[in-house]
Amino acid sequence: MKLKNLVQKSLFIFLGILYFSGNNPSGKIQYFGVPTLVAPVADTRYFILDFKDDIANDTLWQQISAEGYPLRYTRPIRTGVCFDNKCRPLDVTIHWNPTGRYLGFELPEKEFLSKYDHEPFTAEEYEQLHALLTDQFSPLGSFHYNEIVPQADSTYDKVDAVSGATSANVLEYVVEGAAFTTYKLWNITYGSSQQHVQQLTEKALTPALVQLLLESPDMQDKLWALNHINGFITPDATLRQTLLTYISEKEFTLAERAIKSLNSRDLTDKTLQLEFTKKIFPASYSLKKLLLQKLQEAPALQPEVVQLLRKNLSSFTGESLTTLLDLWAHHAIFDSETRTAVEQLRQHSNPFIAKKAEIFLQKSTRPTTQK
Amino acid sequence: MKKIQRRSALASLGMFSFGISSADFLVKEKTIRINDSHSIKKQTLKTDILVVGGGTAGVVAAIQAGRAGKKTILLENNSQLGGTTTTGGVAYPGIFFAWGQQVISGIGWELVQEAVALNDDTLPNFSIPHGKNHPRHQVRLNGPLYSLIIEEKCIEAGVHIRFYETPTKITFKNNSWTVETIGKGISTEIICNQLIDCTGNAYVTSLAGFELKRGEEVQPGSLMFELGGYDFDKLDLNLLRTRYQEEIKKGNLDNTEFRNNIVGLLKSQGDNISHVLGADSTTSELHTLANLKGRASLLRTLRFLRTLPGLEKTKLLDMQPETAVRETYRIAGHYEVTHEDYVTGKHFDDAVSYSYYPIDLHDEKGIIPKHLNEGIVPTVPLRALVPKNSRNLIVAGRCISSDRLANSALRVQASSMGMGQAAAAAAVLAHTHKTTPLEVPFQELRQLIEAHGGIVPPLA
Repeated sequence: MKLKNLVQKSLFIFLGILYFSGNNPSGKIQYFGVPTLVAPVADTRYFILDFKDDIANDTLWQQISAEGYPLRYTRPIRTGVCFDNKCRPLDVTIHWNPTGRYLGFELPEKEFLSKYDHEPFTAEEYEQLHALLTDQFSPLGSFHYNEIVPQADSTYDKVDAVSGATSANVLEYVVEGAAFTTYKLWNITYGSSQQHVQQLTEKALTPALVQLLLESPDMQDKLWALNHINGFITPDATLRQTLLTYISEKEFTLAERAIKSLNSRDLTDKTLQLEFTKKIFPASYSLKKLLLQKLQEAPALQPEVVQLLRKNLSSFTGESLTTLLDLWAHHAIFDSETRTAVEQLRQHSNPFIAKKAEIFLQKSTRPTTQK
Repeated sequence: MKKIQRRSALASLGMFSFGISSADFLVKEKTIRINDSHSIKKQTLKTDILVVGGGTAGVVAAIQAGRAGKKTILLENNSQLGGTTTTGGVAYPGIFFAWGQQVISGIGWELVQEAVALNDDTLPNFSIPHGKNHPRHQVRLNGPLYSLIIEEKCIEAGVHIRFYETPTKITFKNNSWTVETIGKGISTEIICNQLIDCTGNAYVTSLAGFELKRGEEVQPGSLMFELGGYDFDKLDLNLLRTRYQEEIKKGNLDNTEFRNNIVGLLKSQGDNISHVLGADSTTSELHTLANLKGRASLLRTLRFLRTLPGLEKTKLLDMQPETAVRETYRIAGHYEVTHEDYVTGKHFDDAVSYSYYPIDLHDEKGIIPKHLNEGIVPTVPLRALVPKNSRNLIVAGRCISSDRLANSALRVQASSMGMGQAAAAAAVLAHTHKTTPLEVPFQELRQLIEAHGGIVPPLA
């Protein structure tokens, strides 16, 4: 796949330099992080949107690849940041990855950011700003502007900080002397613009695009991709295989989301269901239960799957045994071999297990509707 | 009116189908007549394991004991299970993952996961770094739903739940404990082989006559509630701060009650912001005081808030029935976990579970958590769960033998769940091998915990 090769080649470059920074040859100040996708821009589209914020510009630009995949979103921001009743325009362009992850910012030629005393940002302060904007979990998302600048004129909500007035608990999350600039940019980055970015990408999702997003080196991109499978696209065979590889002990959250990303239709695939089931035996307690519960969503259990589970019945203990019996009961797996295996559990020295077996066997004698 | 036989009355209430009949445990029963219309039932019950305290640790302990096949009774003096998570309203247990790996799993995690699934919630992204992001690792639960799930799980495990009962006397004789309890219309004598103290206050250990420890100062408790009726974004916070400080200066409000932080109070809407100094749940009298103090403080502050611009229509939307308590007594165990042990992640040969949380000592000024260094995951030694000189007795939860700073981290819910499972597994094996928890075969203990999903630190 052409785009995939491009991503892999470009990755070396981007891992080598964590971000492009400083003044580029055009003289612009720009800072960028690791992009989700790297490919030549084939086209640029624009969308006029209602951002529901106080920024005059209502346009979001989308760069797309030859395949039609969104590569990057861009929004020019022009607003005012004021102090001492004087305002200085803030003119900056923010870039997002297709998953809504912050990519970077750039300033127009000869433009620079300044602090409360009109001092321009230093290179370190630009880097700090870029790092602060990269932090999607920053408490800036929950601060009110009055918490940023407690002594500010509370009738005026565009006041930038004087260094002495910035709240002590906020200092860690802002560029000193430019608290409101930081606060404002962070909230634009993670506000309605980000939602629009994600919604536009959702419209462009295909199994191939999700596959590429999963190959991003960034965890946030991977999680976004996993969260946008079930209910958004129907995974093809390649993507299903990739999802199975995520079900491992390496990273619980990725495994948990990969399990969630599969639905009942996916589980009709015989091969997938069997491979999925094989993940159960080496899995940790936490994943084992999730895997067994997911199999309940399958329209029916394949005979090979039932056989495999039965063969490994003795490896299930505690709650996982209960979950397995519930799974069989849910799918009305009451054949003689299964019943015989469970019959043996009825004689178990642990009365808890014996009781669970008894309950299953009672269910097996009730008339059921075949699933 | 026709007199209804007690057994048929219980049957009509569905007690037997709910698995709360005491028939399987009953040794003897008699009715003591008080007057023409009232009588008290006096029962003697016998069980393998008795868990006292149906809170965060106790529920997990009882389920573990039941699933391991032991006859188990769970005593809870409140009206529902879950303790701090449910009745206390601190419905965000944590922390189960450290540095990218799950460190606490098993029964506690299973309960949490089920509550998340049934409420269509999403588990946090456990891959995000710890440190200042540690609250993001806590799992937000629907508290009432959680209380339903844990109750069902106890019943499924065959646990006999007894609400509204509290121990009054505990004696050890012939390798068995006799725990006398009092409840509504009932006086019970429970004979058990193994006793698990999950009261949080080491109350059982105290009644049994073993040594306890307590600092001169204890952490404040918190009354959880929910405020509404205002738009935080439209408030003039500077003005509110000024008016709040004026009220404190006048002596009408106490700056310790909401951490001297009216903005925090309004932003959190009451979620874990209240501080009730000296809150103690050891006895009914002390817990009553903590409840009265917490509620009076809330009412006083609510009245004040409604005098402020933008807050005139502030409403109290919800409030937990009791003040949740962070610290009271700790047992004097065979080993005391120290602050140094905790922050260095000391690996004990008899470690039965992990604990992961910042050093988190609340005081009258608030709280500044001290985060653990990267890669550190403290462990819980079995010896810290066993009161010195005791037999057939083990504890789980915040009363673990530990110094005050270590306890400020060990006390949290996920760690208590891990301890609850480990303590019960030790009690189960002690019953099986006719010994005491500290003398069970350690390899067998590890296997039992792991068979039920728990994570035991590897042998050093």
